[in-house]
Amino acid sequence: MTSVVTALVLAPRNLAVLLLRAYRAVISPLYGDVCRYYPSCSSYTLQAIQQRGLIVGSALGVYRIIRCHPWAKGGVDDVPPVRRQRYRLTPFGFVVAASHGKG
Amino acid sequence: MEIPFLDTILWPIKWVVELILVGWHYLWTFIGLDPAAGLTWVLSIVGLVLVVRAALIPIFVRQIKSQRKMLEVAPQLKKIQDKYKGKKDQFSREAMSRETMELYRKTGTNPLASCLPLLLQMPIFFSLFSVLNNAQKGQAGVGPLNAQLGEQFGNATLFGVAPLHDTFIGSWNNGGPWQVMVIAGLMVVLMTASQFYTQLQIMAKNQSPEAKASPMFKQQRVLLYILPLVFVFSGVAFPLGVMFYWLTSNLWTMGQQFLVIRNMPTPGSEAAKAREARLAKKGKLEPSKGAPAIESIPEAPKTTQRQQPVSKNRAKKQQGDKK
Repeated sequence: MTSVVTALVLAPRNLAVLLLRAYRAVISPLYGDVCRYYPSCSSYTLQAIQQRGLIVGSALGVYRIIRCHPWAKGGVDDVPPVRRQRYRLTPFGFVVAASHGKG
Repeated sequence: MEIPFLDTILWPIKWVVELILVGWHYLWTFIGLDPAAGLTWVLSIVGLVLVVRAALIPIFVRQIKSQRKMLEVAPQLKKIQDKYKGKKDQFSREAMSRETMELYRKTGTNPLASCLPLLLQMPIFFSLFSVLNNAQKGQAGVGPLNAQLGEQFGNATLFGVAPLHDTFIGSWNNGGPWQVMVIAGLMVVLMTASQFYTQLQIMAKNQSPEAKASPMFKQQRVLLYILPLVFVFSGVAFPLGVMFYWLTSNLWTMGQQFLVIRNMPTPGSEAAKAREARLAKKGKLEPSKGAPAIESIPEAPKTTQRQQPVSKNRAKKQQGDKK
């Protein structure tokens, strides 16, 4: 039962993960490396959504894109860490419950 | 553009796009061109490109300047690259990117432009798209493009037969006019050619040896052959007016890139060597700027003298001394 609820809770962010992965595979390479930050804006947004969910993650992503302009200093800029990591990532990047696949 | 949210964001950009378009249209009409002619509107679109690209010049110059400054940090950059030489696993790559970015930040030499120039052009593109779309229906724009001008723009035809709002696929489905297809096809060819030329110029002449060895370079090569496909697909689906914007913008990029490669080449690249040769011929070579600093880093001195065999104990001591 709880696994169903978790899956539902994680559904929006996993959908976003799928979209972002598609973007990073298809559209990103079209204009090459341009981001002044590490990780790049799309990678940052992906991580933010994985850790914080769709709404907070997207907001963080938008804020990052606004900060990324030709006059920004750039450099390393990681997603602010969450206090407790409740979920696990699959190799593809999907977010699943920490116990997923074990029992 | 049926999405209200997107419309709200695009509104100010659309307004400015219309203002520039109408401004150029006014100018061309003032000179004596027919206000309803397709050519006048095409020239107005060309004018729009000129304004947009000229506004983006400062960003471009900034990027070039920080690329020049890269010369100064080249030794440090080389140090990082040497540290991770031959390490191809994901974690080493990531650590290397982190260190490189941190170096750029510290020294203020970030050569990357961020995606803002692209992001800025995209709404302009969309706006032009929707302006053309609305004009086709005889609707007024959001601002300076009033109903009369909108109708004129929507009805404007090239050579009296090819409407600017028409697409290749549209005229294909409607069985004509064939001129639209010919013009669209011609533009796809020109766009592909100019893009190919620009990209080839950058890759063949304006890359430092380090960049050429990186995996990014291979990716760019693949891109060179994918982009024409993108052009073919968009050339089929986009209205002629939008295509004119894109083509002119591509031509501008080509010219800009040509000037940069000729006058401000990436240090250490082939174009830089060609420039040195040109300057040397004229006897105007500045010695300080000539040699690429990347190659002048002294390697650890190699001694040809044979090392004397030493006992284990002494060997340990010697190594200890070195460190």
